[in-house]
Amino acid sequence: MSKGEIIAGFLAPHPPHLVFGENPAQNEPRSQGGWEQLRWAYERARANLDAMKPDVLLVHSPHWITQQGHHFLGVERLSGKSVDPIFPNIFRYKFELDVDVELAEACCDAAAEMGLTSKMMRNPNFRVDYGTITTLHMIRPQWDIPIVGISANNSPYFLSTEEGLEEMDTLGKATRKAIEATGRRAVLLASNTLCHYHFSKEPIPPEDMSQEHPENFAGYLWDMRMIELLRAGKIQEVFQLLPQFIDEAFAEVKSGAFTWMFAAMNYPELAGELHGYGTVIGTGNAVMEWNLIKAGLAQAA
Amino acid sequence: MSVVSAFLIPGSPLPYVQRDNPPWGAMAEAMEKAGRALAASQPDVIAIYSTQWIAVLDQLWQVRPNPSGLHVDENWHEYGELPFNMRTDTELAAAAIAATDSYGIRSKGVDYDSFPVDTGTIVASNFLDPEHKFKSVVTANNLYHDWAITENLGRVVREQAEQLGRKVAIVGVGGLSGSFFRQVIDIATDHIANVTEDDWNKRILAMMEQGDLAALAKACPDYAMQARVEMGFKHFAFILGGVGGNFVDATVHHYGPLYGTGGAVVEFRLA
Repeated sequence: MSKGEIIAGFLAPHPPHLVFGENPAQNEPRSQGGWEQLRWAYERARANLDAMKPDVLLVHSPHWITQQGHHFLGVERLSGKSVDPIFPNIFRYKFELDVDVELAEACCDAAAEMGLTSKMMRNPNFRVDYGTITTLHMIRPQWDIPIVGISANNSPYFLSTEEGLEEMDTLGKATRKAIEATGRRAVLLASNTLCHYHFSKEPIPPEDMSQEHPENFAGYLWDMRMIELLRAGKIQEVFQLLPQFIDEAFAEVKSGAFTWMFAAMNYPELAGELHGYGTVIGTGNAVMEWNLIKAGLAQAA
Repeated sequence: MSVVSAFLIPGSPLPYVQRDNPPWGAMAEAMEKAGRALAASQPDVIAIYSTQWIAVLDQLWQVRPNPSGLHVDENWHEYGELPFNMRTDTELAAAAIAATDSYGIRSKGVDYDSFPVDTGTIVASNFLDPEHKFKSVVTANNLYHDWAITENLGRVVREQAEQLGRKVAIVGVGGLSGSFFRQVIDIATDHIANVTEDDWNKRILAMMEQGDLAALAKACPDYAMQARVEMGFKHFAFILGGVGGNFVDATVHHYGPLYGTGGAVVEFRLA
């Protein structure tokens, strides 16, 4: 078996509004569109992902929250209807997905070997969270690539931000080790919003884009500053600023996916490709790509 | 009198899904005892506020007539499923939704197939009303609502129950101290993870037993912070609002650990 590798990482936020705006057959509610800037951003990301021909997509979602360790979906095929408990009016999605259980187990084992509490989720009746589903739907609506779903352990909230993100760093390194050992060509998806200040009331209809704008100007400025650094490939500087960004912009990257992804990719000082930025109920969302094949850090298929 | 009983119970699924573990079995027995007390109070409806039903936009209320299904807890999936089968008092829920406006709270009903009813609500419903004899009114924990707003939610339920002539049991579902074991433990040895938090829990429970409302009002903000109480102890605020800010004393049917956190089953004697 050849050595596996990570071929790309995407910052791939999960507002369910994007699925709602797209009106796929799997989602019950219908919309008149909305959030096009972000949806078109995902279209560009999809095309690039398609060209990479990955074996597996790994997604770390802040809406599968676990207290005792880092959990991994561990059932070969999961299906059901996932209704968003926060936005049930816009996200009621019938999902069917295939899990790369062998890789998930390898990730789980590697995490344990590196000192983390880790656990496989083996219950076939488990409802996959809307964060995982939204990110996966938006990046690969065909659902034809197996996935590994990873929970967000709440350590950044229970411990300090720094201690929690240190765990996510370890989780990322364990993920890389498992990908290499299992010979997979893997794409990582960090399912995170940036500035997370949001409105407390929903427009009627929800897709009324005349109501959509950044909720918080300071948070918006923070998003632009971080995106500029990411576009310039100043990853070290990004991670130096990350705790301050999290505090001042209430950034959802606190939940760990962003750190997990960069740790797994070994924090490459590589310019990210911005596919698009937009707000959803006031929060800041960027779709960005770090293509390790183009950068010569991974092999083409 | 519209409110006929009131209870504080933990929302952890562990006593329900693993009651043969002694520390959790004692909690399960206490929950059943509370269920018998609730039935004896002969309510028409159980009003449930669960910390685990998280909302961020508006105040959500369950209005589906018969929420039912199978739930798997996000964290404790290895212990199996939580079946649920509830009957909503849709008239009271609608009245509560309409009435929250006057308290400056924007509310919304939730009526969706497969809506993920939270673990705490299911545990409460299954333990307190195992035969599904009573209707329920269930509302969410909006993360941005503070103690006073949450107290008003309880107040709204009481006032609307009064208007409609309903007898209601008020139930706040949530934990006490919040420090938990982050690693896998031998569950038979489960205990409160933090000694200071354990002391805090006992002091607060003693105040409840004594009906010392003034002391509770003074202590709760510090308790919530220092003992890392689940969601700022807002489930108690809901109870206080529901009982009109007053109770005579309370019986603590059990206090114990739930993977390091504190949980208690408390029955309040009403004035």
